[in-house]
Amino acid sequence: MTTMQTPNGFSLDSGGRRVVVDPVTRIEGHLRLEVNVDDDNVIRNAVSTGTMWRGLELILKGRDPRDAWAFTQRICGVCTGTHALTSVRAVEDALGIAIPRNANIIRNIMQLTLYVQDHLVHFYHLHALDWVDVVSALKADPKATSALAQSISPWPLSSPGYFRDIQGRLARFVESGQLGPFRNAYWGHAAYRLPPEANLMAVAHYLEALDFQKEIVKIHTVFGGKNPHPNWLVGGVPCAVNLEGVGAVGAVNMERLNLVASIIDQSVAFIDQVYIPDLLAIAGFYKDWLHGGGLSSKSLLSYGDMPARANDHSADSLMLPRGAIIDGDLSTVHEVDLKDPEQIQEFVAHSWYAYDDDAQGLHPFDGVTEPHFALGPNTRGDPGTRIDALDESAKYSWLKAPRWRGHAMEVGPLARFVIGYAQGKPEFKEPVEAALRHLDVPVAALFSSLGRTAARGLECQWAAYRLRESFDDLVANLKAGDLSTANTDLWEPTTWPKTARGAGFSEAPRGALGHWVEIERGRIRNYQCVVPTTWNGSPRDPAGAIGAFEAALLDTPLADPEKPLEVLRTIHSFDPCLACSTHVMSVDGQEKARVVVR
Amino acid sequence: MSSGPETFYEVMRRQGISRRSFLKFCSLTTASLGLAPTLMPQLAHALETKPRIPVVWLHGLECTCCTESFIRSAHPLVKDVILSMISLDYDDTIMAAAGHQAEEILDEVRATHKGAYILAVEGNPPLKDGGIHCLPGGRPFVDKLKEMASDARAVIAWGSCASWGCVQAAKPNPTQATPVHKVVTDKPVIKVPGCPPIAEVMTGVLTYMLTFERIPDLDRHGRPAMFYGQRIHDKCYRRPHFDAGQYVEAWDDEGARKGYCLYKMGCKGPSTYNACSTVGWNEGVSFPIQSGHGCIGCSEDAFWDKGPFYERLTSIEPFAAEGNADAVGATVAALAGGAVAAHAAVSIVKTAADKRDARNARAAARAAQEAGSNRSDA
Amino acid sequence: MSIQTGRDVHAADITDDDASVQRTTIYVYEAPVRAWHWITALAITVLIVTGYFIGSPPLSVPGEASDSNLMGVIRFLHFSAGYVLAIGWLARIYWAFVGNHHSRQLFMLPFWRRDYWGGVLWEATWYAFLRTEPKKYVGHNPLAQFVMFTVFTLGMFFMIATGFALYAEGTGLDSWQYALFGWVFDIFPNSQSVRTWHHLGMWAFVTYTILHIYAAVREDIMSRQSMISTMISGERMFKDNRDD
Repeated sequence: MTTMQTPNGFSLDSGGRRVVVDPVTRIEGHLRLEVNVDDDNVIRNAVSTGTMWRGLELILKGRDPRDAWAFTQRICGVCTGTHALTSVRAVEDALGIAIPRNANIIRNIMQLTLYVQDHLVHFYHLHALDWVDVVSALKADPKATSALAQSISPWPLSSPGYFRDIQGRLARFVESGQLGPFRNAYWGHAAYRLPPEANLMAVAHYLEALDFQKEIVKIHTVFGGKNPHPNWLVGGVPCAVNLEGVGAVGAVNMERLNLVASIIDQSVAFIDQVYIPDLLAIAGFYKDWLHGGGLSSKSLLSYGDMPARANDHSADSLMLPRGAIIDGDLSTVHEVDLKDPEQIQEFVAHSWYAYDDDAQGLHPFDGVTEPHFALGPNTRGDPGTRIDALDESAKYSWLKAPRWRGHAMEVGPLARFVIGYAQGKPEFKEPVEAALRHLDVPVAALFSSLGRTAARGLECQWAAYRLRESFDDLVANLKAGDLSTANTDLWEPTTWPKTARGAGFSEAPRGALGHWVEIERGRIRNYQCVVPTTWNGSPRDPAGAIGAFEAALLDTPLADPEKPLEVLRTIHSFDPCLACSTHVMSVDGQEKARVVVR
Repeated sequence: MSSGPETFYEVMRRQGISRRSFLKFCSLTTASLGLAPTLMPQLAHALETKPRIPVVWLHGLECTCCTESFIRSAHPLVKDVILSMISLDYDDTIMAAAGHQAEEILDEVRATHKGAYILAVEGNPPLKDGGIHCLPGGRPFVDKLKEMASDARAVIAWGSCASWGCVQAAKPNPTQATPVHKVVTDKPVIKVPGCPPIAEVMTGVLTYMLTFERIPDLDRHGRPAMFYGQRIHDKCYRRPHFDAGQYVEAWDDEGARKGYCLYKMGCKGPSTYNACSTVGWNEGVSFPIQSGHGCIGCSEDAFWDKGPFYERLTSIEPFAAEGNADAVGATVAALAGGAVAAHAAVSIVKTAADKRDARNARAAARAAQEAGSNRSDA
Repeated sequence: MSIQTGRDVHAADITDDDASVQRTTIYVYEAPVRAWHWITALAITVLIVTGYFIGSPPLSVPGEASDSNLMGVIRFLHFSAGYVLAIGWLARIYWAFVGNHHSRQLFMLPFWRRDYWGGVLWEATWYAFLRTEPKKYVGHNPLAQFVMFTVFTLGMFFMIATGFALYAEGTGLDSWQYALFGWVFDIFPNSQSVRTWHHLGMWAFVTYTILHIYAAVREDIMSRQSMISTMISGERMFKDNRDD
């Protein structure tokens, strides 16, 4: 049997030719994709495999819960900080710790800073090369490029001479024969649609964005001491405020605040004048390439983030929306509760783990992870030498399959924007409608790879402006005389209950992120993370429902199956993060891994 | 300008920097690297003329924080590193190619630059069960690593994962994650630890090797002494407060606001070799201690297992939550004291009893003697 | 009378001719050994107190940092006492070569001698109150020798090596301290581990000191020879003239 219907409404055909992309590059971590294409080179079956596993949650067992943020932060260095934030929230939830208002604002500033930097880097350095042909930029006319740039943006770096210099540098680079990171790519591929001038402009901005992204993160450095991996604190933030007293130079003071304000201004300018105009310009050339929708028009999930009021994690306090949309019904946004055992469950029928009953799902509080590496009978190749093709009828990924009330869900910027849109929130609705108007495309165009990429850009802009507002909130609060940044009432483990458990949430740039912690006698007894790419990149569940990556790849025509540019384009639109998503947990020390090759 | 690969000097000229400024840059660089001033012309010449050396950057079990840090480099800018200083032929995170086109690059580099390319490794290989816990390209990462190392000129171990094992190697190390130098034993491995390492330290080590065509002086653990020769504590701007005995006693207290020493909050600066307190992070904007949080020791071997991060003294397993050297030691000492006291008490009682017995025995003997003499009398 | 050593002296050597003398004394600890003992005792005391405070500093000092050097003083005392301890230990090792028979006992554990272990057992039974009368010893009794060697002697080497290795972190990679003791970091690459072990070592010495002082006082009272005064005068005084 090669054809089948999935419970979530997709038809799969595993006949035809198998195309493998491994490694998928320009992502975080290690991902493998296999697709079956029919005679017309249209994708009819997709298999998404996480190929790494580290075991962080197992390592967390028995540690001090106040240290957990640092461990979980090392889950991912790209979305650095978001795991730490989620972790301190989980521990604070378990122990009933309330944080000061300044700490809440500074955490929001940290998270928004991550959004701005991460979305920008994703667009230019991880995703742009799926739309932009670097080599084609050599054919561009610098004058015409300048005219194009000036027609869409007031950004000052737009003279013909500027673009000529960039082109010259690119030419020398290409002529050197040492193409470095641009080597062996799909240059000249039929799926590239930009004219040389747009390509040249994008290449110039690729380099500018590379210079600029390192400025944005300095906000993390001010409040957290370094980036990647700034420092966090259970009960608040580690940086103390001292505006005018003795020793103020060692704390957050006017000079530090000015630095933050200046970076925010630069970020707003770069996004308004470079990122958004580039995004709309590039999208204009691809607006009839609306593949890659997958689950986005069906099932979307967001936990929400950035509480406007400290310690108020209800949906109406959160700046980013919380909710779930099922079966494409935008008229109903369902409530989401991380602690409800009926809502979030993880399945392992097709994951390299074993449950007592693989047909059942487990809520993260009850999570069990017993690694169980086994390949299906139709596997071609061998893990010891090289796997040529996996067998998706058996276990095939280090990712578990999380489901919300049994549904496979898509998470990420598009999910957040659609949920905000469905809730009628103007800050999400208006920019979406403006972008759709600008591109002259219907709402349905949102549900595509391009829609995902556009939502990320709009969200980056949203975050930059929110960053400015949050900064103003911080200054206003300091002005009102509140200098407190940490609550230490429950710092000492002796003040904690014998057992406690809690859930922490956040919206990572890539989507909904949850941590669940159980504390016993001052130590971590159980720690679970369900992360965005586990949702998006999930393998099939016991019922056969496919995840967002697999769904999004279906029905996409490939111009050249030897060079599956379209596969990369759609997968990159999710901004995958595999180190995050590859799961491990063992509640009772069942860390024994078994290798079975059948 | 020449039409060949752009050199570092050309990059600087293009950015409007005069030759005079360029030479000044070279002398500053020479000084900051702790090199003799006589090496300055050599540096200048190297930066003006060197072609780009191929670099292959592999990712094992990691979190990509090293790559993220690398792209934060301000001097040199990472775009200049990539376009003008090295030929970054392979790096999963930023390369345009994917799938088999990407993997072919590895074979090409090995064939055409045998013994000439630099292998940079981010993350580490898990060895358990034949390495199935990291299968990029459908095969164990450890095989890929060994293969690429076999023809490399030198190996750079980026970050604490490659250098020491880092978080996935923390107890109980479920995947048997193993640092690079334990897998690649026939090549010099330069460790650039940190989670992540400082951006300018990464580019500094790389450009040193390109410029001087040699491996920098390494300490006994294989770290470049120029960046890892001293502890954070040795150059910490809060050190005067440490010596004075002025400490943050609780988060956000008076001491925290005055920038006192974070020693009591568990700062591992006194046992951490890194350049944070000198080079600083993100163009010297700050470093952890300056922003109020103690150092967690992220460039040190097994630092995850030397916590908790908020205690000065390391926990000792398998003792209770607060079990550290003081708790263990004080318990042993108290037990010894108790045992001594008990032993002393028993000794006193026993001695008294022995004396009484002896007295009684003597009395009995006397009585017996008296009885005997009485009998003889009779 | 006193018998000058230079040859092995056992209780049995004290012949009946000595019976006229109620109390026998033997010269055991030469002056350098005695001086070393008390200097080391003082150094260890300083090291333990300052070492504890280096691990757990006292409450913060108010005022300008330049007005105070509390931790600086604590560390200075620790390092100074460390030098005194280490130099004294070197001198003590030297004296083991040139001093009398007893000066070598600290460095030897007759591990392969059956009768030695028999002696340890015998002494353990004395401490367990299973004997009414102890034996007489000119030097350390076998049990004391065991504890001295395993805890004190090996402990001294351990503490000096780890202590100087940690000190070398401050003096730098190009210092002689690092050249001599840097190898410690081959065993413990993360110096935080060296701190933990050094700190545990401190507690071993605290425990040792408790036992040492107790045993000395107790033996002084209950055994058949002098203890504490011996380490002052150097002369071991026997309370009776019976063999063993």
